[in-house]
Amino acid sequence: MDLPKSKKVIRERNNKVVYDCGDTVVKVFNGTKPAADIFNEVLNLARAEQAGIDVPELVEASKYEGSWAIATKKVVGKTMREIGDEDASKRGELTGRFVDLQLDIHKHTNPLIVHQKDKYTRMINAAGEILDENARYDLLMRLDGMPNKHEICHGDFVPSNVIVREDGTCCVCDWTHTTQGDGVADCAASYLHFKMRGADEFAENYVNTYCDKAGIARERVNLWLPIIAAAELSRGRAVEKDFLLAHVDVTDID
Amino acid sequence: MSEAPKTKAEATTAKNANSAAADAPAIIVHSDEELSDKLVQMREAQKKFATYTQEQVDKIFYAAALAANAQRIPLAKMAVEETGMGIMEDKVIKNHYAAEFVYNKYKDTQTCGVLEQDLAGGMTKVAEPIGVVAAVIPTTNPTSTAIFKALLCLKTRNAMMISPHPRAKESTTTAARIVLEAAVAAGAPEGIIGWIENPSLVATQTLMAEADIILATGGPGMVTAAYSSGTPALGVGPGNNPAIIDDSADIVNSVNSIMHSKTFDNGMICATEQNVIVLDGVYDAVKAEFEKRGAFFLKGDDIDKVGNTVIVNGGVNAKMVGQPAPKIAQAAGVKVPAWTKVLIGETESVEVSNPWAHEKLTTILGMYRAKDFDDALAKATKLVADGGYGHTSSLFIDTRESEKMQAHRDAMKTCRILINTPAAQGGIGDIYNFQLAPSLTLGCGSWGGNSFAGNLDVHQLLNVKSVAERRENMLWFRTPEKVYFKKGCMPVALRELGEVYGCKRAFIVTDSFLYKNGNTQPIERALDEMGIVHSSFWNVQPDPTIQSAREGVQQIRNFEPDVIIAMGGGSAMDAGKIMWTMYEHPEEKFDDMAVDFMDIRKRVYRFKKMGDKCKFVAIPTSSGTGSEVTPFAIITDADTGIKWPITDYELMPTMAIVDTDNMMTQPKGLTSASGIDVLTHAMEAYVSIMASDYTDGIALRAAKLVFDYLPTAYDEPTNVEARDHMANASCLAGMAFSNAFLGVNHSMAHKLGAYHHIPHGWANAVILTRVARYNAAERPTKMGTFSQYQYPHAKARYAEMGRFCGFTGKDDDEVFENFMAGIEKLKEHIGVKKTIADYGVDEKYFLETLDEMSENAFNDQRTGANPRYPLIDEIKEIYKDAFYDRPASSYEA
Repeated sequence: MDLPKSKKVIRERNNKVVYDCGDTVVKVFNGTKPAADIFNEVLNLARAEQAGIDVPELVEASKYEGSWAIATKKVVGKTMREIGDEDASKRGELTGRFVDLQLDIHKHTNPLIVHQKDKYTRMINAAGEILDENARYDLLMRLDGMPNKHEICHGDFVPSNVIVREDGTCCVCDWTHTTQGDGVADCAASYLHFKMRGADEFAENYVNTYCDKAGIARERVNLWLPIIAAAELSRGRAVEKDFLLAHVDVTDID
Repeated sequence: MSEAPKTKAEATTAKNANSAAADAPAIIVHSDEELSDKLVQMREAQKKFATYTQEQVDKIFYAAALAANAQRIPLAKMAVEETGMGIMEDKVIKNHYAAEFVYNKYKDTQTCGVLEQDLAGGMTKVAEPIGVVAAVIPTTNPTSTAIFKALLCLKTRNAMMISPHPRAKESTTTAARIVLEAAVAAGAPEGIIGWIENPSLVATQTLMAEADIILATGGPGMVTAAYSSGTPALGVGPGNNPAIIDDSADIVNSVNSIMHSKTFDNGMICATEQNVIVLDGVYDAVKAEFEKRGAFFLKGDDIDKVGNTVIVNGGVNAKMVGQPAPKIAQAAGVKVPAWTKVLIGETESVEVSNPWAHEKLTTILGMYRAKDFDDALAKATKLVADGGYGHTSSLFIDTRESEKMQAHRDAMKTCRILINTPAAQGGIGDIYNFQLAPSLTLGCGSWGGNSFAGNLDVHQLLNVKSVAERRENMLWFRTPEKVYFKKGCMPVALRELGEVYGCKRAFIVTDSFLYKNGNTQPIERALDEMGIVHSSFWNVQPDPTIQSAREGVQQIRNFEPDVIIAMGGGSAMDAGKIMWTMYEHPEEKFDDMAVDFMDIRKRVYRFKKMGDKCKFVAIPTSSGTGSEVTPFAIITDADTGIKWPITDYELMPTMAIVDTDNMMTQPKGLTSASGIDVLTHAMEAYVSIMASDYTDGIALRAAKLVFDYLPTAYDEPTNVEARDHMANASCLAGMAFSNAFLGVNHSMAHKLGAYHHIPHGWANAVILTRVARYNAAERPTKMGTFSQYQYPHAKARYAEMGRFCGFTGKDDDEVFENFMAGIEKLKEHIGVKKTIADYGVDEKYFLETLDEMSENAFNDQRTGANPRYPLIDEIKEIYKDAFYDRPASSYEA
């Protein structure tokens, strides 16, 4: 694909650059990103849309200057994170809407999306260098005993991935980590994400709001934390290692 | 000084056993892929083991227990070294316990072949092994649990494939190897025990799916996985034992029990007290005793520090499980004396957000102050709900406080409730209570998501076959205490009321015709002669009503008789029986008494005993119902029209007086209807599924008497001989059907009476031969269900009765046909009409009510004893045949 000269960088990460190209938003990944990852994300996006979730419209997935890139139609609006950053007084209400939106996604299903337990099993097994055999065994046993559900879980549900349009409707982007399974695991993933970035107060507000609205005990979220933390460890991000290990070192004792 | 090894098993150290891997008779799974094939091998070994006798098994069980016992110290050392948890010396106790106590408990238990046999009852219970047991063994008690499960499997002829925890795999498999080698040396098949060398999720899942049963001891995740595997599972859950110390408790015993338990293997047994709830009045004394015995009370922020070190996000920190108190304090950055045995955090919240409210499985203990016993119960209830549903709770109390103990056991949703007992050692059984089975697998019932609630034992690893031989029910023959008969016997018999029973007050129940006709005068004279005062109620109507019975019973209550004398036909005697029950048991309800039954002995409602206040004498004036000797009465609610058929042997009269003098005024119609009713009683009792030698004789005689004397009694009402025999026939048939019951003929006749008002005897008669033919089918749609009734043979029974009554033929078929023709001839002689229509039943109304009538006949209490179990459509067809006078059908299915 070609990108216009007028393109503006929205966000830059280790493995990608996101451009605003006027009508479209284009994510250009670095050259080493495997095609399978790109098409997995595109497929997740398509399957979320198929399930009836409000997501950005896919335009193209092709190469740009030798790297894979994904183009979607631009959604005009502000992310929930931007709104919260601009006006702290709105954060309380935003947390409620954020949780409502997440619970709404969990109500959707699509049998073709990858299964949560399969994905986490793979990830925990991949964390072999960091986690010893005992810890992995305990975690996999715990994971095996978790509820078997079919709710769509975004996997990286954070306010910067939710765009609020002028009319108040919300569009959810970045479907890289999507699975189908227990929505509570998705909540645990969001919670860990906030904790990992030091947003402790928001993390607690968020998880309490989630449990309240979902009508579940906080323990249900806690049960997932060691599993999610272990799975995250497999990404091999050095900065998060100690934080994640502290959450992993919990045993399902007999 | 150490003792020299006494046995070969003792001479082999655990390490030697382990290094002998290559020679071991175990089945060892080296990779996930091998598992299925290895299980096939193991099944072969188990098949062989399944053929062993109890003697062979007991020899193996003995050798295996002895070997495990001998290796308790090396195994305990290995477990502590490998897992880094617990206390070696305590693990020695656990190993010793698993070997010795389990052996002792089951050494004489029958687990092979016939477990029990009841020759009289025809019941033999036979034990079979289950097959391959998947044993998941935990890190907290690896060697003792391995010994425990291996011994249970050996005793029950099962094979066991172990999935050890990777953290404890060496010690677990070493324990299993020791047991196996000793078992094989004692004759067990090689490969009867095996293990997965490198435990993995995939291997454990495969094992769970392919085994015949799972013994799952481990974390909740693993246990849930076991229950989800599709294989039957015996999995157990976590505990969170709250121990209440009541203000009546012996404080020294309470505190030291908890300390003893809490420090046992550094608090790793799941029954262990996790929190102590102390009543306000003894709180300070309890605290002082804890301090005296080596507990350290954390202060200020240190409480949170320790709590958050042990519990992380609601889970137990793996590094803190089974650790000594000073090590935990150090990890939390809290200074405590080196002698500290238990860290106590005084805390308030019982909410799950409080780390102290959790199961901790280490040497820390939460302590709550309760303002009173109810408060303590509320706190304990919540703590159990926080993660210990179904497991264990403890109470320290003066056992004279029975109300508090009951309130505690009512409130606790735990399968073990331990009183004044160290929970770790008490929960596993046989140490502080000898009725609780020794076990290292403690079920938490449905509260804990488990399939069983007690301590796991050998019986759960057996398939028990119940070999139930066909047996026949005990039958009976019940009649009134006294049956007096013969012309003129009534005044003589009545003398017994005064002379034998010492009655003082008699109450006579009869109908207005008999009363006004003076039929009760001989009774009154006899009573007067004995000085028995009497009163009478004579307002009994045909089809007696509750309303009239109430009127009568009001008089009875006022009069307070010690004997009721009912004189008349079925109506007076039935009304008398009902008044008798209302007088004896005014609290009883008819809708309870009238509950239908399949087997009168098993009826839900139990009739109250009769005869305490009052005797009951029945004197018939017609030859038909037999009510003077039956346990039946029918009463109608005039307001609703509902008929309540009441049946119970308590309704049996004390005395029946069958005096032909009372029968001489029967009109012709009554003679005909009641006479043919007697034949129906005799025939139905004779072909009933409950017919016995005792009822057969009198049924046959009654039927013959009807054939011989009914025509004469009908033709010559004053013929004493005919009346006398008919009176006896009625009473004999009554005794027969009181014990063998009736059949579908009566069910259908009752409904013809109720819907179309055909007199009862004729309603029976108009369908009698059709129903007999229906019952006589050799290929009925369905036969009646009763152990004694082996095959459809009503035809032979009818033929037998026919022959007895004088009918002949070359075979049963011919005799049956001649018998039926004879019945038809008799009916004609005594004026029974041929069809239902002949009784003036309107065709349209008949057809309108036919469905409902047929269903109600099907549902009639009498249907149950019929030799053929009727379908409603079949009943309907018989009704229609009898309405339209259709030619007899064969009624074969």
